[in-house]
Amino acid sequence: MASETILGADMDALLLRSLQGYVRDTFGPAIWQAVCRRSSLAVETFEPMLRYDAGMADRVAEHAADVLGRPVETIWEDMGTYLVTNPGQEGARRLLRFGGTSYADFLHSLEEMPGRARLALPDLDLPVITLREIGADQFEIWCKSQLRGILRVLVGMLTAMADDYGTLCLITPDGGDRITVRILDSFHGSGRRFDLALPER
Amino acid sequence: MTIGHDGLSRFMPMHLLLDASGCVISAGPTLMRVLEGQAVIGARFQDLFEVRSPGGAVTVDEVLDRAGQRFRIVPRHRERVGLRGLGQRLPVDIALGGGASEGGPSEGGAVLLNLSFGIDLIAAVREFCLTDADFAATELAMELLYLAEANAAVTRELRGLNLRLEGARVAAAEEALTDPLTGLRNRRAADLVLERLCAAQAPFGLLHMDLDFFKSVNDTLGHAAGDFVLETVGRILREQVRAEDCAARVGGDEFVIILSGRTDPETLQAIATRIIARVSEPMAFEGQPCRVSASIGIVRSLDLAAPDAVQILAAADRALYAAKHAGRGMAVLLASHGA
Repeated sequence: MASETILGADMDALLLRSLQGYVRDTFGPAIWQAVCRRSSLAVETFEPMLRYDAGMADRVAEHAADVLGRPVETIWEDMGTYLVTNPGQEGARRLLRFGGTSYADFLHSLEEMPGRARLALPDLDLPVITLREIGADQFEIWCKSQLRGILRVLVGMLTAMADDYGTLCLITPDGGDRITVRILDSFHGSGRRFDLALPER
Repeated sequence: MTIGHDGLSRFMPMHLLLDASGCVISAGPTLMRVLEGQAVIGARFQDLFEVRSPGGAVTVDEVLDRAGQRFRIVPRHRERVGLRGLGQRLPVDIALGGGASEGGPSEGGAVLLNLSFGIDLIAAVREFCLTDADFAATELAMELLYLAEANAAVTRELRGLNLRLEGARVAAAEEALTDPLTGLRNRRAADLVLERLCAAQAPFGLLHMDLDFFKSVNDTLGHAAGDFVLETVGRILREQVRAEDCAARVGGDEFVIILSGRTDPETLQAIATRIIARVSEPMAFEGQPCRVSASIGIVRSLDLAAPDAVQILAAADRALYAAKHAGRGMAVLLASHGA
């Protein structure tokens, strides 16, 4: 592949694989097939551990938006939520929960996310995330990436993780690179249980 | 200078404070969970723990004397969880807030040990249902747990990728050896089987079959009818051979059937005759009868001094030629032939 070393290519693979899982599980294999045909793709399955052309994830998502008749931003957000809530993806949710014992702790851990990801995948170029605490229970998250979809995926994941922690909050993408988060109630619900040790198989 | 028990526990949730005689004054909350169900305060170090290293040490004094400061121990009632630690005799003027004071250390100071799970962390977390709060904020426990899970996830993905690639490889290999029209093997596959059997000097019989009247079906009823006949013959051959045999379409209406381990002339003749009978049964393509038959030349690996694929196929060709000459719908076994 010609674009092997282009920055962000790995993230494209992860996003494409996630998009594939989300569209297939939510709308059915036929819809995913239609998305792939519309994108003139040679393949219909993406491998998270292979590299794809930079920007491919955004292109395929645009086609998915056409096929599904919904805005691409909504698709990315819903996919972000799917990554956390889908029982088949329990791994992603668990890795995120290692971020901290409360939702605020978790938000603070976002800055460490690229470093954590590099422990397992040294060549993964995760977006640069910066957190600013702008007031009591008020945060600004800056997320810089060449992939347009990333910010909306993060919004979807933040929303799902708030549920996971049982926290009530307002999450607003402000356009550009910024998301604001206002925690309204840290103990709104019971949240989901999280054991540090994986359940024994 | 005084550090209270709470302060000590916050910085070292797995500390163990012993008096000069080696009895427990206090223990951190996480270590208390490990030792749950034991009478900890006042117990002797050697009754709670077995020393793994330094070898031969039993009491805490021996541990400190022999190892300097680093050591490895296991709780006597939970031998699965190893602990490693660091210890220090404290100067007499440092008082650490412990539990009930038993008259105070008389000779020398107290001993402070700080323990950690080391590589047994994951097992310990499961066994004692530990949480984030059981570890000091400076510890890398969370990172280690995180790394273990992230690695497992990556390995799982790679294993999945390997399986999917292997599946694709097998499918591609299978495709490369299959004749798409009849579903039989192709010439390449037949050559590979022949080479393998010859190299292994394994005995086998080979039928070389050519359809009779196939050209006239093609000419009068068209190529679709011809394809239909070939597909039908493919089905017949698949039914007539065993799984370990190889039935291949090697040319337009030419077939090779390799029967491993079959060298009895009568058996080979019977198989060939059965195939010819089945192929000669009338077939109908879109209501039009297509009648074909087959001629078969039979050879056996045993009849060649040093069989190789080229010789076998040449002999089979001669046998087929003889069959054609004997009249249509015949099978001829060429037993002795100068190769």
